[in-house]
Amino acid sequence: MKKRVVITGLGVVSPLGCGKEAFWNNLLDGKSGIAPMSTLDLSPYKCKLGGEVRDLKPEVYLGSKGLKYLNKGTRFLGSAAKMAIDDARLPTDGSLSEQMGIVIGSSLGNFSETTDYFYEIIRNNPSELSPMLSYDVALNSSINYVSVIFKIKGLARTVSAGFTSSTDAIGDAYKMIQRDMAQVIVAGGVEQISIDLYLIFYLRGLLSGLDGTQEASLPFDKERNGFVMAEGSYVVILEEFQHALDRGAHIYAEVKGFGNTFVGGKDHPAEVRMCRAEKAMREALEDAEVKKEDVDFISANANGCKMQDAIEAKAIQSLFGAGSIRIPVSAIKSNIGESYGTAGAAQLISSIMSINTGKIPHIMNHTKKDQTINLNLIIDKPLKKEIQNTLINTMDYDGNNSCLVVSRLCK
Amino acid sequence: MSKVVITGLGLVTPVGVGVRQSWESFIQGRNGANEMKSFDTSKYKVHRSCEAKNFQWDFELKNQIKENTIHKYVYCAAREALQESGLLHDKKFNRERFGIAIGTLAAELTPFERLLRLDTSKKDNGFDKIVAAVYPPNSITNILSKNFDFEGPTMISLNACSSGNHAIAWAYDRLVDNKVDVVMVGGGDMIPQTEFTHFHNLKALAPERCQPFDKNRQGLMIGEGAGILIMERYEFAKKRGAAIIAEMVGYGLSCDGFHMTAPHPEGDGAVKCMSDALKMANISSADIGYINAHGTGTPHNDKTETTAIKRVFGEGAYRIPCSSTKSMIGHLMGAASAVESVVCCLVLRHGVVPPTINYEIPDPECDLDYVPNAAREVKVDHALNNSFAFGGNNATTIFSRMG
Repeated sequence: MKKRVVITGLGVVSPLGCGKEAFWNNLLDGKSGIAPMSTLDLSPYKCKLGGEVRDLKPEVYLGSKGLKYLNKGTRFLGSAAKMAIDDARLPTDGSLSEQMGIVIGSSLGNFSETTDYFYEIIRNNPSELSPMLSYDVALNSSINYVSVIFKIKGLARTVSAGFTSSTDAIGDAYKMIQRDMAQVIVAGGVEQISIDLYLIFYLRGLLSGLDGTQEASLPFDKERNGFVMAEGSYVVILEEFQHALDRGAHIYAEVKGFGNTFVGGKDHPAEVRMCRAEKAMREALEDAEVKKEDVDFISANANGCKMQDAIEAKAIQSLFGAGSIRIPVSAIKSNIGESYGTAGAAQLISSIMSINTGKIPHIMNHTKKDQTINLNLIIDKPLKKEIQNTLINTMDYDGNNSCLVVSRLCK
Repeated sequence: MSKVVITGLGLVTPVGVGVRQSWESFIQGRNGANEMKSFDTSKYKVHRSCEAKNFQWDFELKNQIKENTIHKYVYCAAREALQESGLLHDKKFNRERFGIAIGTLAAELTPFERLLRLDTSKKDNGFDKIVAAVYPPNSITNILSKNFDFEGPTMISLNACSSGNHAIAWAYDRLVDNKVDVVMVGGGDMIPQTEFTHFHNLKALAPERCQPFDKNRQGLMIGEGAGILIMERYEFAKKRGAAIIAEMVGYGLSCDGFHMTAPHPEGDGAVKCMSDALKMANISSADIGYINAHGTGTPHNDKTETTAIKRVFGEGAYRIPCSSTKSMIGHLMGAASAVESVVCCLVLRHGVVPPTINYEIPDPECDLDYVPNAAREVKVDHALNNSFAFGGNNATTIFSRMG
């Protein structure tokens, strides 16, 4: 018999603030975390906006000792993990170490630290560089740091799958607990803005404003013109149901299903991409044994990309048929931007807050309706609604589609 | 529960292109170390590594780069593995049930390095459109998917030196769950100057040759290449009449949660992942007939691994041939455990165990049977493959002969 998996802790480091309360209140208040980027020299380039993390005080979560050796991603992930572990009231005396794992999604991992180090190598005498500078040259070094800090001994895995990395990590962790490989898993994602990430998006022509129109994050809007990149770390504590009950943990929600598909590296027509996106949603619902009529809310992937938003809308319309005009759809990337390999974890936390508060945040700046998108988009103000089951979508231009079904706990 | 079997193998290693050439070299105990050619090492104290040699490239990839890349290594290993499995030209199956899982430590870092060397005035100069396209790790799965029509779930495993085994574990779970029929799984890595410098400045690199478990071992040597295995659900393989090479019977994962570069002194994490793998495989430790050791050749690793093996296997540890193929090909980092899993399958197939070469002086702290310097004929039913990464990220896999 498969084990049930619940969520008992949340941690957020986001452009909308740190901690679940700040993140959630700012989402409901319709605040934006997007602004001209302050950490990169973008003078040679057209696109200037980003969702940067601005107010993290890592010493609050990780202490001051040794902090200077931790890179940005490690600070993000370490802080978010600490918040989640504390929120779940997990013991920190090491008594859970062997039953505890960590599975994190990150598209690039520590690529920017790795390339920073190479930049030092070619500008200095390489054999004189301190080894302390190079701890980050493995792409998973942030996760390793966090496993050392929190004495995690069960397992550690870093998953990279473009925009769906953190959804895949959470899906992976959920399956691991189902199979009894760990009792508790720290799961989520981490992504940091760097010139590396910026240039990948820029040179691939994916950023908003590249076509000369105004830069903005406009999911599903008629005037959407690409996405605004963002950073952060979003972490949840996944826990085996009975384990959580036995220690009297607060249970936020239950992870019920995961589905993922891939379109492949080929230039498939939009129709094929739409079918595979639909299939990922269907697989997640089947895995959850939740009927599509019982989905109360969809957290959309929509990030403002012309083609991908349209494909997602069509996939939802195709799967839910007439029901698609009934189910409320929100897209938090209007507020926080596209945080790539950690986006799914951000949507998961927002959706859990919706389940727990009965409120769905609205899509910001949505002014021009796209007539081809016939969904019940929540705009203008948050929607109050009792929610039992939510569907969380993450999809990308490389063809990854990963979806989660998360539900209010039924005892 | 469905069994998981291996039906195809592919290799690009410093001692051979292709499985046949590599295996012959392994059995002959060939040393793959050479003077570094891909970048200038004059400012370093170490000038050697294990580069892939005689690698021929006769294909065409999207966003292709003139020099060798992970994409090219992985493509060739995948092509070879698919050829053996009979799936290279056979397109009649539901390709949405064909998944891909690839491990890498550095991904396509070397094209960035090459470009930045041309103009070092600004870090941005390391990027052009092609680097931007190949640099994200999941470009590897995209290339494989596009060229071999694998359109199922994919995963890139970024777990440093245990990446390959993590990818194999991921594939095993999805096959057992009947989510997919076939997974192309493995790993690939190049030798970026960044990683070379990192290991060099940690004083972890051996100057001349890699001597795992030897008393005078001086460190690891970096290697490059790729290893691919075609893993399938047993029913699927049987139905299509595929020849079965081996069965994948279990894996174990653990994390030291101890230190960024040093292993746990008593090998706690290593003990856990070997024990968990035996438990999942449902075989007794006495049944293991071969261990492909992580055996990097660093003083720390080899001692700790020996301790851990003795803790798991007890007195039986002295009976099991336990060799490090890293003595010949170096440490392929993200590809290491994939290549070594291929080696385990070949040991089961041929009944020959490859040696640990460069072994001269026994170390009292490393006192197992490391198959010194010469291959040995042994019939092996179950082979275990260890991988322990920096940061204490451990993964062990077990392969068995089909009865």
